Amino acid sequence: MKSVWARTLCRLLMVLMVWSPMQLANAGMIGTDQAASVATQADRDTLFQFLGRSDVTSQLQSLGIDPATVKGRVAAMTDQEVQSLADKIHSMPAGGDSGAILLLIVIGVVVWWIWFRR
Amino acid sequence: MVDLVPPLAIGTGLQRYARRMAGVFILALAAGCASLFPQTSELGKSGLPPGLPERVELAHTPFFPQEEYQCGPAALATALVSAGAQTTPEALVPQVYVPERKGSFQVEMLAAARRHGMVSYALAPKFEDLLREIAAGTPVIVLQNLGILWAGWHYAVAIGYDYSRGTLVLRSGTQEREVMPFGTHELVWMRSGYWAMVAMPPDRIPVTAEEKSWLNALAAFERVGNARAARTAYEKTLERWPENVNARIGLANVHHGLGDLAKAEAVLREAAEHDPDSVVVLNNLAQTISDQGRHAEALPFIERAAAAGGPFAGAVQKTRATILERLGQKRIE
Repeated sequence: MKSVWARTLCRLLMVLMVWSPMQLANAGMIGTDQAASVATQADRDTLFQFLGRSDVTSQLQSLGIDPATVKGRVAAMTDQEVQSLADKIHSMPAGGDSGAILLLIVIGVVVWWIWFRR
Repeated sequence: MVDLVPPLAIGTGLQRYARRMAGVFILALAAGCASLFPQTSELGKSGLPPGLPERVELAHTPFFPQEEYQCGPAALATALVSAGAQTTPEALVPQVYVPERKGSFQVEMLAAARRHGMVSYALAPKFEDLLREIAAGTPVIVLQNLGILWAGWHYAVAIGYDYSRGTLVLRSGTQEREVMPFGTHELVWMRSGYWAMVAMPPDRIPVTAEEKSWLNALAAFERVGNARAARTAYEKTLERWPENVNARIGLANVHHGLGDLAKAEAVLREAAEHDPDSVVVLNNLAQTISDQGRHAEALPFIERAAAAGGPFAGAVQKTRATILERLGQKRIE
């Protein structure tokens, strides 16, 4: 497991490398997403999140997602969404199970009968 | 053979276990433990929230029985098709399913809806809001955890409720019409932090939408979606919250992106009247005026933005430099 410090250092170095190209990509208009999430360090955040995108892309690929589709998936996320995925991809719930658990239902019915209808 | 436990004994053991478990819950209740399902007991005590019908069921909501582990695509297809998009769970698998996790992330559920022309919005974690959205005709995707010993994350779509019976109706897994008591739903729903989302066509706003969160949802939609749809969404939003400066900024950005600079300018001028100190408005107004070739006219606006400083100072300096450069070139010509 990479340490948090190592990751932060890597990101900082990469920030310095990509700083100017990212700035040039801005066509003069401040984007709505930036305006909506006025962070104290808006510019730097954007860069961290830009890095987050490539991070998340490779993380998703390692979870079995077809490289041909992963780009479109990440592109549809906001910067904050990318960031939350990058930080918590291994602890995030992934809804996929089916089937109700009978015991829970039984308990629920009892609970509801006692509580809600009295 | 003698060492094997007869099947019957296993059954009674399980039953005894189940009975004891149920007993624990009843005891907890008897002790007045309303915190087991706080929102349900609140709903029960305070009565039907004002303005809500006693019973609703969005019976026309489509049903896609899920294949194994595919409740994410199935739930999303249910919400998207009912909002007017044309898609299927199969088409959504490559957009939300994560093979190694045998499931779908919440973030991707929100993101994928945008790719189908819908604005995705995560509801506030309130049971009442869930009921309000259903009553307004919007099916709501909820994330439940049905597991006991291990996590059993599951997406279902809430499409109805009956307040007097205290039950919720869901499209869930292979069940077209699952009826779940409020309390049971809360027990399995609260484990996801009461996570719920809706997918809205661009001309509709969720009834429970909070201004700031909705604007964030729209900005996310604008990034991905089609500009004309985003324009519609911003116009509708300004009808509901006429004072919202970010909606004006968004609308102007969409006009600008579509090449409609005069309209973008008009919206931004209006915004500058309402919020004369907004650096974003001043910057974007200056840029838009300059983009129409009136660089000298743009200059005072960008100077005002530059004087204000703040988090956008870097972007403002860039715009200012561009305008000055254009002005210089014009003079030389």
